[in-house]
Amino acid sequence: MVFEAAGRVDRADRPSLMRLLISIDDTDNLDSPGTGELAAEIAARIQAQGWGRADFVSRHQLYVHPDIPYTSHNSAMCFTTAVERRRHREVIDLAARFLRETAAPGSDPGLCVVDLDALNDETALIDFGRQAKRRVLDMPAAYALAQALGIHLSEHGGTGQGVIGALAGAGLRLSGDDGRMRGTLALPPAAKILRAKDLAAVPGVDRVTAVDGTAIPPETEIALGPKVKTVWRGGRSVLLVTPTEPDSATAWRTCSNQELKIY
Amino acid sequence: MKEPSATESPPEFSGGQDDFALAAQVAADCADFRADDEGEWVADESRSCYNCRARRWTQRAFVCLKGRLA
Repeated sequence: MVFEAAGRVDRADRPSLMRLLISIDDTDNLDSPGTGELAAEIAARIQAQGWGRADFVSRHQLYVHPDIPYTSHNSAMCFTTAVERRRHREVIDLAARFLRETAAPGSDPGLCVVDLDALNDETALIDFGRQAKRRVLDMPAAYALAQALGIHLSEHGGTGQGVIGALAGAGLRLSGDDGRMRGTLALPPAAKILRAKDLAAVPGVDRVTAVDGTAIPPETEIALGPKVKTVWRGGRSVLLVTPTEPDSATAWRTCSNQELKIY
Repeated sequence: MKEPSATESPPEFSGGQDDFALAAQVAADCADFRADDEGEWVADESRSCYNCRARRWTQRAFVCLKGRLA
């Protein structure tokens, strides 16, 4: 179930494809592009090479603590892709080169690339990600786990501290129950209200539910907020909706930034 | 009056992490406001300290890396 979600890119008709989970952290400083922008650019470059399609970038909050040298928010960015097996090394090299060339001065970039089909202990990786949300972890622990699980983990400048968050981000994405998408869904221009079934058909949306997980009937009309994005729950990319205020045109609306900040 | 030392932590935002009105009000008058990556936005108002590149989250609130909360 989790793998299905992590590797949304369909490979049913192409068994030679390998599913990769790519995660980066600690690439920015106060004046540079954010880590999310860099993750999106790596995904775009993989697609531009014609190697494979990339899924959306998800953002994962890690522990905020004085002993952790994050720039401003301590979050990791992650996405999945499926490429021909012979491209595995090239994908790693592309991402590593991009981080070396683009990461900001003073940053400590880390890169993690997981071959999802070869990963034999997903629980250990998920546990590392969950630990990184509640306590301070160190680089030797990250490298030891990556080596034990056969995961690519590399540092690309500064102290290399970003390897911790990169590995944790991969684990959290794999967990299927952490994070929210970076960016917004591609909805019909000028749409103000859509039925739940139409929203569920938008690329990147697996299902539409209430915040408490209750399913929303397909014909239900949903008012769209200015920024509509999904969260990662139950191994699915879920569009959360919430009841509207009295006298609204619809009974449900999409959640706001403020309401999604806990994810 | 005590002078701030080089090692003293900058002041935290008084509104914690959920005073969206105050965060928007402070950002409205701030010459150093710069929107963070969209993935990091948590306020619905685009111009909010909570969405600013220069806010560094702490466990209770955030500090301003441009020193605008001093």
